[in-house]
Amino acid sequence: MDHVKLVNDPIDIAHIHQLLADEGCGASSVFVGTTRDNFQGKKVLSLAYEAYDSMALKEMNKICSDLRSKWLDLKHIVIYHRLGTVPVCEASVVIAASSPHRSEALESVSFAIDQLKTRVPIWKKEIYEGDNDGEWKENKESIRPKKSKSGFNYAACPCKVEESHDVPRTLVQIRVNDAELTKRLECFVNRKRDEINSQNVIDFKSSFVSSDKDLSDSCARTQSTIIKQEQSNCHLKVRRVNNRCGPQQMEMRPNYELELNKLMGSRDGQTDPIKEMRKSLPNSRLQAIESYMGLTTDNEENIFSRIKRVENRLLQLESISPEYRHFTKREPSSMEAAPPKKIRKKSYSAQELSAFIQKIKDGSEFS
Amino acid sequence: MNADGPVVNVHVLFFAKSRELANTPRSTVDVPTEITATELLDHLVSKFGLTSIRDNLILAHNESYIDNLSDRILFKEGDELAVIPPLSGG
Repeated sequence: MDHVKLVNDPIDIAHIHQLLADEGCGASSVFVGTTRDNFQGKKVLSLAYEAYDSMALKEMNKICSDLRSKWLDLKHIVIYHRLGTVPVCEASVVIAASSPHRSEALESVSFAIDQLKTRVPIWKKEIYEGDNDGEWKENKESIRPKKSKSGFNYAACPCKVEESHDVPRTLVQIRVNDAELTKRLECFVNRKRDEINSQNVIDFKSSFVSSDKDLSDSCARTQSTIIKQEQSNCHLKVRRVNNRCGPQQMEMRPNYELELNKLMGSRDGQTDPIKEMRKSLPNSRLQAIESYMGLTTDNEENIFSRIKRVENRLLQLESISPEYRHFTKREPSSMEAAPPKKIRKKSYSAQELSAFIQKIKDGSEFS
Repeated sequence: MNADGPVVNVHVLFFAKSRELANTPRSTVDVPTEITATELLDHLVSKFGLTSIRDNLILAHNESYIDNLSDRILFKEGDELAVIPPLSGG
């Protein structure tokens, strides 16, 4: 049975127990809310409760029916709330329930007091020492005006669309209320996020695992095989990382080996590039020197005669233009003669120069 | 609230802080038969001097909370409105 009451006198707990009593019940849970004598360091002299009586009783009865729909085994429910002036340390509210087993009784009472603080229109005013006006309290659970989450009231902007107006085929017109629209937007964002996430996972996974997947437009920098950690819901273990270049770059990247071979003078692209490169390496280096020296040679010629010709060419260049030697000179070896001592150039002052020029002029006049 | 449509007279109840600000526990007010909760609240707030607690008020129409301020409310003669500041029961 439901016992719901607003009372003006002290609540008798023994009476509540009598209301709960039932032979088939092994549990009675009683919550007693009492008034405190202090609030934030201020001494509370007295408390006064007022209610919107008819609606309060209606809401309290609603709580009872909510409890019964949630906990089917409940036997008796008691909700008593005291009104008017309540001295400190006395019961202001009592919520009690009895049931065959304790869990229903305990849980339902806890749920009921939360609901009461949220929905039942009752107010408490505390009168403090040295403050005649007192203060109306506010339950943090209290029902409050809803604030639009997005801060934008869609309903306040009626969108008038004429029926005859042709909506472009690329657009979709949706006519729903705010809540539905918000929900759909949320769903859309969530789905997009999921898509991106799953795409990232595919990119990250090794191409060996899903070789049928075309990875040409993947943006993954590394490819690896990831496996689930044991006994963990979220941690993935990276088993191997193939630290190759990004797959999307493979086509754009030059084939370095081939390019190198070309530079090294290997003209035969048909043969194995590495072998070809090794074989032609000394040959091509010599060729580079020869072309720099302005010599034309035949590849098939004996390598020693070719070196001899390069030497001759060097000597000839040195003899016709000595400064050329600076460019071809390497570390001076012990075999070489010590470089000639530098002759310190005499420096002239402007006066000496003008005297010198004057001398020449005089000389020319003489001749 | 100069509504063009029909107007009805309804009871308004004030509690706790709103009762103190309105300086009366109950009054009557003429309202259009159809009005949004926001318009109704603004009207009551300005008429009864409740500006200081406007954002914390919730209305009850015939003992049921008006959960959404964008709801449209239909009134009949003699309906009961309640101005409800934050609750502190328990």
